[in-house]
Amino acid sequence: MRAALKGAWIVAFLFLGACGGARHPDASKADKPKSPEETKAPVASPAPLSYEERLGQATFRHYCQTCHGETGAGDGFNAFNLDPHPRDLSDPVFQKKTDADLRDAIVRGGAGVGLSPLMPPWGRTLSGRQIDDVVSYLRTLRKSP
Amino acid sequence: MPLRRMFAATSVLFLIVLAISPTKNYFRPYRALQHRYFRLGAARARSLKAAAEYTARPVAIQQIWLREFEDRVDRCPTCHLGAADELMQDAPEPFRVHPRTAHTPADFDRLGCTSCHGGQGLATSQVEAHGSAPDSGSPMIPPQSIEAGCGRCHSTETVTDAPILSRGRSLMARSGCYACHAVRGHESFRSEAPPLTTIALKTGGGWIKRWLTDPKAVDPNATMPNFQLAERDMEEITHYLFSVPAPPSLAAAIATAAQDPAGDAANGKKLFSESRCISCHTVEGKGNGSAPELSKIASAATRGWLLAFLRDPQAFNPKTRMPRYHFTEVESRDLVAYLEDEFRDFDAPKDLFEPIRVNQTLAENGRRLFRQYGCFSCHSEPGLVEAERFGPDLDGVGDKRAASLDFGRRTDLPRTLPAWLAAKLAAPRSFAPGLKMPSYGFGVEDTAAVVTALLALGAQPVPERYRFAPAGSTVSIPGGPVGALIDRYRCLSCHRIGDRGGDISTAPLTAEGSKVRREWLVDYLVLSYTIRPILEERMPVFRMSRDEATLLADALENFYLDATIPEDPFAGRPPADADSVEGQRLYVTLGCRACHILGTAGGYYGPPLTEAAKRLKPGWVFTWLKGPQRLRADVRCPNYALTDTDALRLTAYLETLRGVSREPAAKGAR
Repeated sequence: MRAALKGAWIVAFLFLGACGGARHPDASKADKPKSPEETKAPVASPAPLSYEERLGQATFRHYCQTCHGETGAGDGFNAFNLDPHPRDLSDPVFQKKTDADLRDAIVRGGAGVGLSPLMPPWGRTLSGRQIDDVVSYLRTLRKSP
Repeated sequence: MPLRRMFAATSVLFLIVLAISPTKNYFRPYRALQHRYFRLGAARARSLKAAAEYTARPVAIQQIWLREFEDRVDRCPTCHLGAADELMQDAPEPFRVHPRTAHTPADFDRLGCTSCHGGQGLATSQVEAHGSAPDSGSPMIPPQSIEAGCGRCHSTETVTDAPILSRGRSLMARSGCYACHAVRGHESFRSEAPPLTTIALKTGGGWIKRWLTDPKAVDPNATMPNFQLAERDMEEITHYLFSVPAPPSLAAAIATAAQDPAGDAANGKKLFSESRCISCHTVEGKGNGSAPELSKIASAATRGWLLAFLRDPQAFNPKTRMPRYHFTEVESRDLVAYLEDEFRDFDAPKDLFEPIRVNQTLAENGRRLFRQYGCFSCHSEPGLVEAERFGPDLDGVGDKRAASLDFGRRTDLPRTLPAWLAAKLAAPRSFAPGLKMPSYGFGVEDTAAVVTALLALGAQPVPERYRFAPAGSTVSIPGGPVGALIDRYRCLSCHRIGDRGGDISTAPLTAEGSKVRREWLVDYLVLSYTIRPILEERMPVFRMSRDEATLLADALENFYLDATIPEDPFAGRPPADADSVEGQRLYVTLGCRACHILGTAGGYYGPPLTEAAKRLKPGWVFTWLKGPQRLRADVRCPNYALTDTDALRLTAYLETLRGVSREPAAKGAR
């Protein structure tokens, strides 16, 4: 009799323990209904920018857009009178450059990397973080070939 | 026997109760998460030793204790273990490394997590910590409004690296939110909306109705919101406005002006462009847009009113940003003739200017409505003393619990504060009947920006040492005749002086005395020309007398100086010819011509340097070359990190640039 009671208590204890403990996070994620964003078909509009890309965009618009243009095509209003013309940054060929190359060109300017001095060096004006953000924003400008 | 059995039962029960808490704790999600993180870390580690370090870490609550920041305890790193771990680039949440920002990873220990992101730092379960429950205080700020977190400490209008917040704040100021809603730091805000005392002499009932129906449809630059008034309400308000007596002096000025003979529109056109009206106004959308659109102005205001207003705008509205020009009687007549000829709404109904015969009952009702809708908050009401803010306080709106918000009829909204705020801005009266807030017609992006700015308004100000106040120089504006001139020409509408003034001009005047030569300044004030040809906003030609110009130039020369700018950078040793030749070489190799015009070649972004030596003082040029950002933080001219020698050589070269001769340059630039 006593043994049977003890057994019942143990069963009850295990049951309570299982109820009291929270569920495993993976399990809860698995049966969560999909949010509308996930279920919706992909739309044509470009992916929203990440926080870094947004900061990069703001920096690009302030410092770079006057020559390189809004889409990076090298058609900013100040580009009109410049020879050589600013580089088309959305060009897939240009986009093959590594992040390190782009960073280097921004930091040291055209003259620093053997190109036209009309592209100024920004290493002393922008912080390393700002330059990284600009580089990640430049990647979003890539035109599909 | 039953006693022993009961004792056994209660002991077992007691043990079970005792076991619940540790068991619950054992199954807390963070423990499983931490194990997963350690495995992930070990897999990503670059060396065996580093991997071993990951696996050896104990499972434990991780927290950041901010003793100086309201004694906060942020336990977010208990789950977000990789926030400061560079190995967790692109790792799945919650382990992903925090994006690099101005404060991360440098300030994790100083700011913690909740000071920027909101949420409940003490909680260790996701729902509680993120505050997703409707009755949770201070829920997390959603990612698209994250810049609201910046705004808790950074109370300035523009915040670096927070473009959305800055835009939201500027929209709030421009839309006059602070006129009705009290917000800390904006106590002294006063709307620039005109007093309505002369409106009966300015226009007619038809136009007022048109305007009240939708101000932004009449003038896209209008800052006045749409009050969505019923037909009857509009009529009553019109009757009230027509019952307000105009100040006798203005009424007389308008009456006299209405009798003026017609002017010469051709000369008016010349004056219109010379006075650079579109530096503030727009004509069919072209122009700065901080002042009303003018393309239909002659269908909005009577000729007499326009003439009298042009002759002295500041008498009509003491808060106006419009300067008082030196138009002669004839010139103002010509200018109005041009406006009447060209800037007219040719499709407008004939009865726009039809005056109204005031009905006292309607006017009395209109007066009540004027109070009821808070019109007086922006348009001061005659005879009404400075009233309290009309709308509810907005301080603390960013910390409101979703459960405390009245969603009313809006059952379609997610029960969150950002969703409520966005809906309030998009359709303010959709929550319940009888609400008064007008509609501002913000687009989606603008709404998101204002929501961000609102979420930044916390209930409690952050501790003193966390508040960010820039070292803005407070510069006083002189009184006396100089102050009167600065007021008359409304210099501060466009130029910044210290931390005051507008941002239409790219040239702050704070250190103008150290920057430009006095003789140049006098000539420029008498007959200003365009320094930056690409800008639509150009310095108007005020045609002030040489005496006035000299007075102003002397004041700038004496008051507005920067002590760190040397008078003579060459320190008494005038540069040799070789120096300026070397400077010219630098000018070419540094690529200055990318932005500056010299002669005919070069970009147009920066100011032309053809006459640099006539305009700029060498000390300022030298200081600028050594680091332009020190003189103006957001300037695009890059810092080339020049040595003193090189900067002096370049200065010496620029000192040789005196242009061809003054006359053609001044004429050409106009």
